[in-house]
Amino acid sequence: MIMHKNPYEYIDTEVLKISRETANIKTFVLRPVAPIPFRAGQFMDISIPGVGEAPFTPSSNHNISDKLDFTIMSAGRVTKLLHALSVGDMIGLRGPYGTAYPIDGWKGKEIFIVGGGVGLAPLRALLYALFNNVKDYKSILVKYGSRTSKDIIYKNEIESWKKAGNVDVEITVDVGDETWKGNVGIVTTIVKNPGFDMNTAVGVVCGPPIMMKFVTFKLFDLGFKPNNIYLSMEKNMSCGIGKCGHCRIGPYYACKDGPVFTYDKLKDLPNIWE
Amino acid sequence: MQKSVYSITKNDLFDLFSRLARDNRIFVPYEYKDRFLFGEFDPVKEAAIQLGGIRQTQPLKSFLNPAREKILGEGSDGSKPVIVAGVKQCDLSSLVLQDFVFLKGDEEDPFYAFHRKNTTIISSDCTFAKETCFCMAMAGRPYPSKEFDINLSQLDGFFLAEIGTDKGLAIIKDYKTFFKNARERELNERDRIRENVSLQISNFIEKRNTPDAAGIKGSVKRQYDNLAMWQDFASTCVECGACNLVCPTCHCFLLFDGRSKQKTGRLREWDACLYKTFAVVAGGANPRKHLYERLRNRFDKKFAFFPEVLGYTACTGCGRCIEACPGDIDLREVLKALVSGSWNKPPHD
Repeated sequence: MIMHKNPYEYIDTEVLKISRETANIKTFVLRPVAPIPFRAGQFMDISIPGVGEAPFTPSSNHNISDKLDFTIMSAGRVTKLLHALSVGDMIGLRGPYGTAYPIDGWKGKEIFIVGGGVGLAPLRALLYALFNNVKDYKSILVKYGSRTSKDIIYKNEIESWKKAGNVDVEITVDVGDETWKGNVGIVTTIVKNPGFDMNTAVGVVCGPPIMMKFVTFKLFDLGFKPNNIYLSMEKNMSCGIGKCGHCRIGPYYACKDGPVFTYDKLKDLPNIWE
Repeated sequence: MQKSVYSITKNDLFDLFSRLARDNRIFVPYEYKDRFLFGEFDPVKEAAIQLGGIRQTQPLKSFLNPAREKILGEGSDGSKPVIVAGVKQCDLSSLVLQDFVFLKGDEEDPFYAFHRKNTTIISSDCTFAKETCFCMAMAGRPYPSKEFDINLSQLDGFFLAEIGTDKGLAIIKDYKTFFKNARERELNERDRIRENVSLQISNFIEKRNTPDAAGIKGSVKRQYDNLAMWQDFASTCVECGACNLVCPTCHCFLLFDGRSKQKTGRLREWDACLYKTFAVVAGGANPRKHLYERLRNRFDKKFAFFPEVLGYTACTGCGRCIEACPGDIDLREVLKALVSGSWNKPPHD
């Protein structure tokens, strides 16, 4: 068969480091044999040869393309096996696919970022991308909701984000415990009017569908414009190139027209939160 | 334009197939009971070959996007050119959609592109119509007018052969002793048969009051929340996916890894949006938990998504899904309900 480049081909990738974030979430540092340039928000397919592949968004700085972090919750068939990997194991990476956060267009603006659970992972890539030129952005507010204090990811890192300048981070947990001194309540309880210029302020949401739904409604109520609210949509992205049909949302495929969508594109479509 | 039409006797045509079979894999329709099934050309079974008739049970996509194909790993099919003969217009009409999915966009699918280039399409006119045929409601005709390399029209003991592409022309040039220029009265006879079959289909459409593509426009959106309607139509669905698999325009596929002894490979296989797990994500969330949502999704994709992104309805009126459905879900009845907002509750026995 004489063929053009095979889009389903992955790049051999070594597992460099594995660190545990929570009981069911680990961060993997992966080194593909050839660098994979990407922009924050885009996703890739991680392959375990002989098993299958699944889509994930890198959580590291997009200025670094030869070593990429992926923070992964053990939730399905592929992720369970990813959690069983050891340092030195070889897996595959293909991508990047889909849309990125258009951060160049956010310069001079106020940015309000809301994450839920492991949904903070793609937002970490976004934050590092913003931190590369942090002074270009007027203000960056991060609101993070976690089930309990034990489920918080990037625990040792979050404090350092505040030192990047113009950045503030607030965390809440759904269920408190004796060790937790912060806010208790779902993430919408800390999504309050930030006093931003709502004509230009940017909202970013990533988390479980139900959280995204209510946070998006809240941002809309606070005055964020639908075309300034950026959502990372989780659908069954498989081929990554808009052909296999699994991740359709109305007239879009999440893998190529997303995964980052502005809310104005989605708000009139049925069942987007399911 | 008539100069590009030739005539060839049935014997010469089969002789031509035998010769072409030296360097090509040729697939032709065989008549079996009341069905037409594609099989590899075999001169011994000549009597069963039926180039007229209606569309075959297998859709054309079987050749261009095989039901299962290895996309990564060692070993791939040979690259012998393929000729598919007897393809009907309702399959040719699917090419614009399949080409859009697999050849357009940011990435071309190299497997489909390979099969598409490697396949010569010899289409043919329908010589009768079945009650389930409604191509003319979907802007089709029971005879090909484009998208073929050669088109055959079956007359009494011989065929007219119309050239569609240079690829088709090359075959006729290579074997020019088999071909004669078509005569006026032969062309007239071809047109008479075409009119007859068209009339049969118009009658079927009229009798059932099947809406046409233009009439269906916007109706999925209008009836999207008419849950009673979707639930009624889904009430006999057994989620077998047959409607997806036989559909010439359905293109969705599943990627998975196959393993045998030392060899591993990634395969792709036709998938069906009626299957419960089609849109499930890791962790188990399912945007289309209910069967009626998945049935609705099929209509949304064909009659809303494709018209919006491509300007074509993803239904060619071949009627295969109607015939394949064990729950007797008739796509034409769903379309009628979509347009009118009323429907007869399907009988339960």
